[in-house]
Amino acid sequence: MRLELGNIFIKDVKFSNTTRVDSGVLYINKEEILKEIGGDEHVKNIDIELAHPGDEIRITPVKDVIEPRVKVEGPGGIFPGILSKVDTVGSGRTHALKNVAIVTAGKIVGFQEGIIDMTGIGAKYTPFSKNHNVVVIAEPVDGLKQYDHEAAVRMIGLKAAAYLGEIAKDITPDEVKTYETEPILDSVKKYPDLPKVGYVYMLQTQGLLHDTYVYGVDAKKIVPTLLYPTEIMDGAIISGNCVSACDKNPTYVHLNNGIIEELYAKHGKEINFVGVIITNENVFLADKERSSNWTAKLCRFLGLDGVVISQEGFGNPDTDLIMNCKKIEREGIKTVIVTDEFAGRDGASQSLADADEKADAVVTNGNANETIILPPMKKIIGMTDYVDVIAGGFDGSLRPDGSIEVEIQAITGATNETGYVTLSTKGF
Amino acid sequence: MATIVTNNLLVLKKMNDKIAVDFKDTDLIGILTETRNRIHRGHVLLSHPLSGSIKPNETVYKSLIISDDKAELDLDSLRLIESAIETTLKFIGMKEYKWNSRTLEDFQEIDFTLISSAVESMI
Repeated sequence: MRLELGNIFIKDVKFSNTTRVDSGVLYINKEEILKEIGGDEHVKNIDIELAHPGDEIRITPVKDVIEPRVKVEGPGGIFPGILSKVDTVGSGRTHALKNVAIVTAGKIVGFQEGIIDMTGIGAKYTPFSKNHNVVVIAEPVDGLKQYDHEAAVRMIGLKAAAYLGEIAKDITPDEVKTYETEPILDSVKKYPDLPKVGYVYMLQTQGLLHDTYVYGVDAKKIVPTLLYPTEIMDGAIISGNCVSACDKNPTYVHLNNGIIEELYAKHGKEINFVGVIITNENVFLADKERSSNWTAKLCRFLGLDGVVISQEGFGNPDTDLIMNCKKIEREGIKTVIVTDEFAGRDGASQSLADADEKADAVVTNGNANETIILPPMKKIIGMTDYVDVIAGGFDGSLRPDGSIEVEIQAITGATNETGYVTLSTKGF
Repeated sequence: MATIVTNNLLVLKKMNDKIAVDFKDTDLIGILTETRNRIHRGHVLLSHPLSGSIKPNETVYKSLIISDDKAELDLDSLRLIESAIETTLKFIGMKEYKWNSRTLEDFQEIDFTLISSAVESMI
């Protein structure tokens, strides 16, 4: 399966009377986009605001971040099974508007987290401060249940991204990248001396605020299965996840998964990257056992030599991570796990809630308990009155001057476990 | 077959007709230690003791599913519950929150939906 990804680099985003891209500037007709994404009976009002890198703006609470994309050639459409039919995507050509994202904001439950600061120290902790953000604020009808609210905002965000993505269809991209994964028998013939490497992509799937969808299917109902990496670039996986701001995978991260990107970069040179095994993170222990048995079985069936496993979230999924790791290792396959840490504010506590001696190759994306002070911002998009009760915030977090003392787990994407982060480690 | 041990009244109210529910008027650690005691008596843990990605000091409700059958001590269950207690004590040591009633209702709902997804898998 071969996908050409045409990237169109956007320099600025402005409201205008027509939606178009002109000389690298994205112009949005606000009335038209509101009409396109409106109409949900669960939402009484939608507004859109713009936030640019360097602006003194705090966006919170953030639900999802989505990159606008569109299918230009090949089967299917973007976000299959949700906005498009269930044709298998991932081949042909797709265009993406880079440096711009839809951000959905609004309080779905009382303690929901997710802060994106567009300037200051907080901006350094989130990759999403580098984008021109088109923030969609959807106000629910009174008394709306959390499930319906989450579903409504999820759909509004995807529709907004698809609306903007549509503009990219007829634009000549600034660069075109090609990604190709051949059937495994062909790639093994082509690269007989290269180690066969797979990616086990763990998806958070535990219920309200913890869900992920694959071709429209609630991923808690799947058994582990194989995907071409390029299917994911076309929106085969989307986020319905509101908690764990620092280490959940927003839809933007699924579309731009850093591990997939890196494995492709080494494909045909150092490794033979044969594909992605998706699996879930469920509440019921037998589900965890079954899913990890199946990931190990699939890894062995594919004859893999090495596997990269990424986690989503913290706590309960630590058990899935370790089960996947030790069962795949038991098949004689080397693993590297990619995670983050909740090691206390001083970083001295046990990092994960589960462990095994086979987990001896670990990439960390940071300690989510690290505490920082976010300075006051001139403008808030969303609301901060909830900050004392968000994850990583605490009683007295929100100070009278508008500054906030929080653990970095409150910042969207701060310790993302696919490596789509700004934190790094240096040895001295 | 199995029993839910919980301190969440919403779970008692909504699940009582589907599965045995043992409501305990205690805190989160109380539910974990009650479950640990039952594991020592030979029951097997059927749902994971940590709640999704919600940190243990961010919720006060906990519902766990444990087998009604008894056998020899299940070491996997014991390891999971001990590790969950250790993690919970670590988080509670960092910061305890004061929640408003709206947030507490949300916590009840989330605990309920998390345990519902486990019950759906089981039945």
